[in-house]
Amino acid sequence: MVRLRATAISASVVLALVVAAGCSAPGGDDKKAGDDSGPIKIALVDAQSGQLSSLGAWELKGAKLAVTEWNAAGGINGRQIQLDVFDDQGDPTTGTNLARKIDSEGYIAMLGTAESAVTIAMAPTLKTAEIPNITSGQSPGLVAVGSEFLFLNGPTSTTYDETLAKYIVDQQGIKDIALITNNGSYGKGEHDAFTKALKTRNVTPLVDQVVTADQKDFSAALTTIRQKNPKLIFLGAEEVESGLIVKQARDLGITVPFAGAAPQGTPVFLDTAGAKNAEGTIVSSPYLSNDINEASKKFATAYKAAYNEEAELHGAKAYDGAQILLTALKSSNVASGKPLADAIRGTKYQGLLGSFAFDNTGVGIFATSIGKIENGKLTAASS
Amino acid sequence: MQVFFQTIIGGISLGAIYALVALGFSLVYRTMGLVNFAHGNVVTVGAYLASTFYLTSKLPFALAMFVAIAVTGVIGLVIERVLRPLENRDFDLMLIGTIGFGIVLDALVIMIWGATGRAVPSPVPSAPIDLWGIRIRTYDLVVLAIAAAATVLLVLFLSRTKRGAAMQAVAMDHEAATAVGIHVGRSNAIAFMIGAGLAALAGGLVGPLLYVSPALGGALGIKGFAAAILGGFGSIPGAIVGGIAIGVLDSFTAGHFQGYSELVTFLVFTVIIMIRPTGVFGERTVNRA
Repeated sequence: MVRLRATAISASVVLALVVAAGCSAPGGDDKKAGDDSGPIKIALVDAQSGQLSSLGAWELKGAKLAVTEWNAAGGINGRQIQLDVFDDQGDPTTGTNLARKIDSEGYIAMLGTAESAVTIAMAPTLKTAEIPNITSGQSPGLVAVGSEFLFLNGPTSTTYDETLAKYIVDQQGIKDIALITNNGSYGKGEHDAFTKALKTRNVTPLVDQVVTADQKDFSAALTTIRQKNPKLIFLGAEEVESGLIVKQARDLGITVPFAGAAPQGTPVFLDTAGAKNAEGTIVSSPYLSNDINEASKKFATAYKAAYNEEAELHGAKAYDGAQILLTALKSSNVASGKPLADAIRGTKYQGLLGSFAFDNTGVGIFATSIGKIENGKLTAASS
Repeated sequence: MQVFFQTIIGGISLGAIYALVALGFSLVYRTMGLVNFAHGNVVTVGAYLASTFYLTSKLPFALAMFVAIAVTGVIGLVIERVLRPLENRDFDLMLIGTIGFGIVLDALVIMIWGATGRAVPSPVPSAPIDLWGIRIRTYDLVVLAIAAAATVLLVLFLSRTKRGAAMQAVAMDHEAATAVGIHVGRSNAIAFMIGAGLAALAGGLVGPLLYVSPALGGALGIKGFAAAILGGFGSIPGAIVGGIAIGVLDSFTAGHFQGYSELVTFLVFTVIIMIRPTGVFGERTVNRA
């Protein structure tokens, strides 16, 4: 009797699945075209788990804030904006699967990811599917992809590191510099961009150490650096690893300051390294603090109200990116595909990071400022 | 020379952690012939529990560790109890079962503590000891001392107590052990409990050295597993030697091969295993599969 019922249940389940499958026509149903009612579907792809998930969490908060504001103001052309979150786990393979998924599910644009390697892996699929993507990555490799559907919501490593080199070498006159970078997509971008910026100034690094992205013990690299007595150490690694490097460096008796880009300005870096160890770190960032101007103050207040935590660079970047996408959607009357990409390229936007004006490479902003960690807080450096 | 010694110090410090992880793997393996694939995840849980009791509940570090070990010990018991019906019936299913438990624990960690992670300040705030230009963190010495003490206690338990002797007997021949009235299930349960406790010890101790995140156990689990194999899977001294060896090897390849260090570490590991498939101390007494 029991078995009979089980068979009946499984039969009805199978039947239901068959019916459901039959309803959605396979393949050819391109929901993008002609779908001009209902919500506008935007995908946010970011690491929501794994070691890079703090980045993903900030991104989500920033982008969501922009979407909420637009929805509260009535959406675009009377349509609400639907922001759906996908977890790429910071993994390029997961990313490429998600790229196909958001294509088949009819999303017209994508925000994210925060990890250059993942974005680069997704780019070819998104290009073929003609889905514009505003990423938070900053590796020059993103530009090298050469996709007209890929845009950056901030400067590339080239800009970050050129500004940094200008401050360190030209203004402070420091020439004894050591490098420690990881061999991941971000770290390699930083390494190449900073080395190039030094080269144009005829400065050769005293020592150039490369670590792996999930290395835990940096004794060998740091002791080698210590023996060369540099005046400053350039750091090209993500938040947690950078924090570990700084912590271990201080334990090894290295007292000189570190310098780096976006990750070194984050609370995660500060916590991992310990505020005392991170003191004096020089940071190149397009968004140093929440008090730069009226727009950033307003953003920081809204951010705090929504999430009960302080806003920071990555949230601000994602907010700018989402604003640009939504502005382009509005100006193009909710276009998709190439017209939407063109609309994004044509969008001039005064954002939290500065004035955005995209060039052909998909980069919209070309300036960062120098900050310093003082008393456990990132503040603008007096040059 | 300075680089050489400093590299060894750095390697031994993490090596002690790998050794503790390897001990847990080996203890379960020698008793049951089973590789507990959830072991790395138990390390993560232990690290989170210890850091939570230490940071949020403001318990002293030692007490926080003790509570974390107790709680994860219970998790070990639960895993064993759920898998027990499969003992001696379907070994592959048991292996898959531990993988499943790993995934469940991973998801639970993210549900409870979020995906972001946290930094744990060192419970031993004193400055590193400077020995002829070689710096030794005081906390590293604490880690080494605790790891050594845990190993001695484990060896004493296995060799001097009745319960420990019973576990040894089960490891050698579980049918004969059953025949003389040893409760095999209970032996296995204790192996799982102590294994999980060791994982928590490793996770709790490594917290202040690294960054506690859901990805923590995965990295330590793989190195710990490699350490157990290198030392001879199932061997207690092997786990210790293997752990330190992997730690130091890792440290040196990082110095010499930089970005390719991981590759070189595991190439060397593979070559050693090819030359000596049973590891340094291995004799493979356990083979129940």
